[in-house]
Amino acid sequence: MDLSGKSYKAFVERQDALKKQYSPEQAKKQHVKGKLTAWERVSLLFDKGTFEEIDAFVTPASTPVEFGKIDRRYGDGVIVGHGKVNGRLVFAYAQDFTIMGGSLGLIHSRKITKVQEMALKMGAPIIGMLDSGGARIQEGVASLSGYASIFHNIIQSSGIIPQISVIMGPCAGGAVYSPALTDFVFMVNHTSYMFVTGPNVVKEVLNEEVTSDGLGGAEVHARKSGVAQMIYDDEENTILALKKFLAYLPSNNVEDPPTVNDDGAIPNFNEKLRDIVPDDPNKAYDVRDIINQVADRNSLFETSELFGANLVTGFARLNGRTIGIVANQPKVLAGVLDIDSSVKGARFIRFCDVFNIPILTFEDVPGFLPGIDQEHAGIIRHGAKLLFAYSEATVPKITIILRKAYGGAFIVMNSKFLGGDFNYAWPSAEIAVMGPDGAVAILYRKELAESENPAEMKKELVKKYRDKIANPFIADESGYIDEVIDPALTRQKIISALDALSNKWVKVPARKHGNMPL
Amino acid sequence: MANDKLKKKKLYAISSENKQFSFTLPLRQSIRIGKRDYEVKLKADEKLGTYILWKNRKYPVEIVRSRQNKFEILFNDISYTFTVETPFSLQRMKVLNAQKGKATAAFVKAPMPGKIIDVLVREGSVVQRGEPVVILEAMKMQNEILSPVNGTVVKISAKANTNVMKDDLLVEIKP
Amino acid sequence: MKIKRILIANRGEIAIRIMKTARLMKIETVAVKTAVEPNAMYLASADVIFDNTDDSSEIPVFLDIEKLISIAQKTGANAVHPGYGFLAENAYFAQKCIDNNIIFIGPSPDAIYKMGNKTIARNLALQNGIPMAMGSQGNIANDEEAVVIAEKIGYPVIIKAASGGGGRGMRIVRKTEEMEKMFTIASKEAEKSFNDPSVFIEKYIENPKHIEFQILGDTKGNIIHLGERECSIQRKHQKLLEEAPSGALDSKLRKKMGSMAIQIARAVNYSSAGTVEFLLDSDKNFYFMEMNTRIQVEHPVTEVITGIDLIEQQIRIANGEALKFKQENIKLTGWAIECRINAEDVQSGFAPDPGKIESLSMPTDSYVRVDTGVQRGSSIVASYDSMIAKLIVKGKDRKEALKHTKMALDKVWIKGTKTTLPFFRMLVRHPKFQNGNFTTAFIEKDIEKFYFNAEYEEMLAAWLTIKLFIDENLSDENASIDYKHRKEMNPWLLNKRISQF
Repeated sequence: MDLSGKSYKAFVERQDALKKQYSPEQAKKQHVKGKLTAWERVSLLFDKGTFEEIDAFVTPASTPVEFGKIDRRYGDGVIVGHGKVNGRLVFAYAQDFTIMGGSLGLIHSRKITKVQEMALKMGAPIIGMLDSGGARIQEGVASLSGYASIFHNIIQSSGIIPQISVIMGPCAGGAVYSPALTDFVFMVNHTSYMFVTGPNVVKEVLNEEVTSDGLGGAEVHARKSGVAQMIYDDEENTILALKKFLAYLPSNNVEDPPTVNDDGAIPNFNEKLRDIVPDDPNKAYDVRDIINQVADRNSLFETSELFGANLVTGFARLNGRTIGIVANQPKVLAGVLDIDSSVKGARFIRFCDVFNIPILTFEDVPGFLPGIDQEHAGIIRHGAKLLFAYSEATVPKITIILRKAYGGAFIVMNSKFLGGDFNYAWPSAEIAVMGPDGAVAILYRKELAESENPAEMKKELVKKYRDKIANPFIADESGYIDEVIDPALTRQKIISALDALSNKWVKVPARKHGNMPL
Repeated sequence: MANDKLKKKKLYAISSENKQFSFTLPLRQSIRIGKRDYEVKLKADEKLGTYILWKNRKYPVEIVRSRQNKFEILFNDISYTFTVETPFSLQRMKVLNAQKGKATAAFVKAPMPGKIIDVLVREGSVVQRGEPVVILEAMKMQNEILSPVNGTVVKISAKANTNVMKDDLLVEIKP
Repeated sequence: MKIKRILIANRGEIAIRIMKTARLMKIETVAVKTAVEPNAMYLASADVIFDNTDDSSEIPVFLDIEKLISIAQKTGANAVHPGYGFLAENAYFAQKCIDNNIIFIGPSPDAIYKMGNKTIARNLALQNGIPMAMGSQGNIANDEEAVVIAEKIGYPVIIKAASGGGGRGMRIVRKTEEMEKMFTIASKEAEKSFNDPSVFIEKYIENPKHIEFQILGDTKGNIIHLGERECSIQRKHQKLLEEAPSGALDSKLRKKMGSMAIQIARAVNYSSAGTVEFLLDSDKNFYFMEMNTRIQVEHPVTEVITGIDLIEQQIRIANGEALKFKQENIKLTGWAIECRINAEDVQSGFAPDPGKIESLSMPTDSYVRVDTGVQRGSSIVASYDSMIAKLIVKGKDRKEALKHTKMALDKVWIKGTKTTLPFFRMLVRHPKFQNGNFTTAFIEKDIEKFYFNAEYEEMLAAWLTIKLFIDENLSDENASIDYKHRKEMNPWLLNKRISQF
């Protein structure tokens, strides 16, 4: 073929036009707001030279009625394609705010559904980088149907391939359901927001003044609503973190996650673990100190750190292999379970379950958070979610009881008879129906009332309770837990338990799905 | 294969007092003072722990905390907190700060774990910089926690007779 | 030697200090092992260890008189050294020892009691013509009485606890309006710290120097002084650095203050080691504050410039021996500076930083003496104190002592907790400290930056930060992420996973 021929020339001209479209002037529009362009984000995410764009030259669909201007530039405001992220196939789409505000039109949505379907066929993860003004008004119902198709695909792929959304700009109205349906949501602080109904309508209807950031900014979703699990102060850090996060996940629900070599810094016999839980049961500590001394060095990647902070969830590695961690956090609300933490834990456990990630639970829970608010808001329903998730999960499940394990919360946190595979306790564990103060007050109410020195008597009874009833050796000797272990040997025990469980297979019941309380 | 997507030639370390230290990439194992380059090495030793070797002197170092791009380093017994920024994120910070305008709130946190003995202000109290707002007892000593700014108390999280941990929020003041 | 075996009713560096001298004197020592620090360094130096680790009492053993007496009896110790703090100034404990035929290495219970009660001590000083700050005759009942006295003496005044010191139960009052609030706070604090809310009032001497004299007295009535210590470097009434001698005293003033110190000691027939505290104002007037009837933390600086082992003297005195030297034999040679290196975070207002010592290396030059109670692996326990070590440095004069201190501080290597080293590094470079013209107000009022960092230290820390960031985020992660699991997948498991759908 003659390289100077007409057809080749047209090809080259079109390539140039596309390149010109993503000019520095265009980029500046994002940069002045402190945001990156869609191309910059894609380049940061994918390994150099591996990104293959799909449908780069599509143009917007034509509408039955012309209403408002339509920008006919290439791409229709979204860049989609596939490439390698840290050496492995990943599909992604990145909305381009500089073209029609990244609004979703028919072609734009078709590009996205195209990569969604491909990702599902190839069994590879899919990342959505959202930065869009929402549905394109000019295209009417076609835009809305576009969203519907996207949602449908997310749901069809849910639990088969990991799906992650990164909110890097506005995401409002119906568009928010896309991230809501995916497995994890990353948000960039200050320059992104999500809400169903914006501040203008809120002002109009309810006469409440609020900024976009205040209504649905990253902090709001990370702390209050729990919609975003990871937030970062800028886009580069967000994408770097996303890459790091992906390395913990498998490509699909049949594969195992990749491994990352352990540098051996955390020894299997680790005396530091003996010093972390204070002797005084009323003193708090940070459970992450324990996790960091058990898991591979620096391998803890926390999810939803700011939401339901009384329960720590996240991924970590043991001997290079991914595990999911669920741990009560005594330094927040004394580590009780409440609505937010129950829901957070349940979702995390279910994600681990569908993607074959073993679950390691660290338990130090005095109970559920009491209060009218909690009860009226349905702690019964929401606590049940955590219970359901644990029991339903068929991945290897290991529990280590660090200190308190009282009552219903003990049952919920993956107890043996709920389905825990290996349940260990540290010598500092206290396993009982309720804490010593409560138990003594109830069982010895009469004696205490009649006593001459009730404070002294109570102290003695509490001590007796701690020594005789709540100590873990009773549970151990009756088979309700598997073994009381030396804290220093925790890592070793877990690794050997995981080895034993590596071929665990449980047939799921013959049903469409359970009726989990929602 | 370092990530050079944004053609980063520099990285900045910003200290807690907003001092900027810039380093070109790839990071050299030396630091230039005046006209000379002095070699700097990070080493670890069984007995001494981790240290930096510079100008023939060993300095003890410890990485206290690292979260995303925020690092707390203990260097020769002194803590430094740095945020690592790329040229773009630095520019972004400027853009965001310009939009933000006035400082929104000052948070008074517990400098050490202890017990709140007394809360000296109420919501709405006007305080001066340096004025004590909370009495915190630690190691049998009573410590006055002072307000860092002039302003009005908007929220009190500290309650008398409760225990707090280091960095727990005590009082929020609007400057 | 009557004293054959000494029970050391203390722990940490002072326990080791006492054991060191006892060993030289060929006297056996007993140490008490506690559950709080069962692997503490001081245990290794004792001849006999009493294991108290299964003691579940709420009272720490070093404050439990009955238990200590019983331990002494069980271990065959016929003497007890209380160290400093704990029961060192508890007259009841001293008496109990004597009642049980155990030699108490310290002064008589009577001396302890009298000097322990600040108002009795003040009255004794008054009776003996010792210069003092004007103050209340006895304890003050309430804030109204306090105001009356304060207005008579003249503000500013200081409220002080009758039963203790160390800054607790102390409040300065500058005007009548503040008295009610300060009185309540001081009284409450005194009750909490010393179980006695009684307080008295003294004229507050602005910006004095804190000068104390080391006293040695035997049971035969001989009392001498071993010169002074300069203890004005304090923060919130806690001493941080001490020197001997003090640059503020010439030999005439030393003789005068020394003889006053001896006189007050004589008023209670003092025997053993003790310290008389004075305040020295800018006109070189001195005022008696109180007497501490125990060996003090900062005793090493006196030992260094006099060449006398104070612990040895204490033991000999308790043994009934007469002092072998007279006042004219005491010569002060050279200069000594002691830095108290504590596990505290200078940048957070000296907040305690308990933790485990991961690495510890102290200078070994001939001009350095280190008194410590911790080693690599020791835990600094919040319930005791935060002391890591006392760095004592000597020189032929103050200038050389300062130079040596600066050099020694740079050689100290401690990892595992934050320490007060950066504070001392700043102090030895501070012009006011270097010229010696400082008062007790120095640390609170004249210091801008509490720590020292050399040039380029911040830049090196920044370099390290960037290096860490690159290693964590920008390095070739592809190399460490392994997809071998795809080849190694267990066929049984894979088959099960696929066929379930």
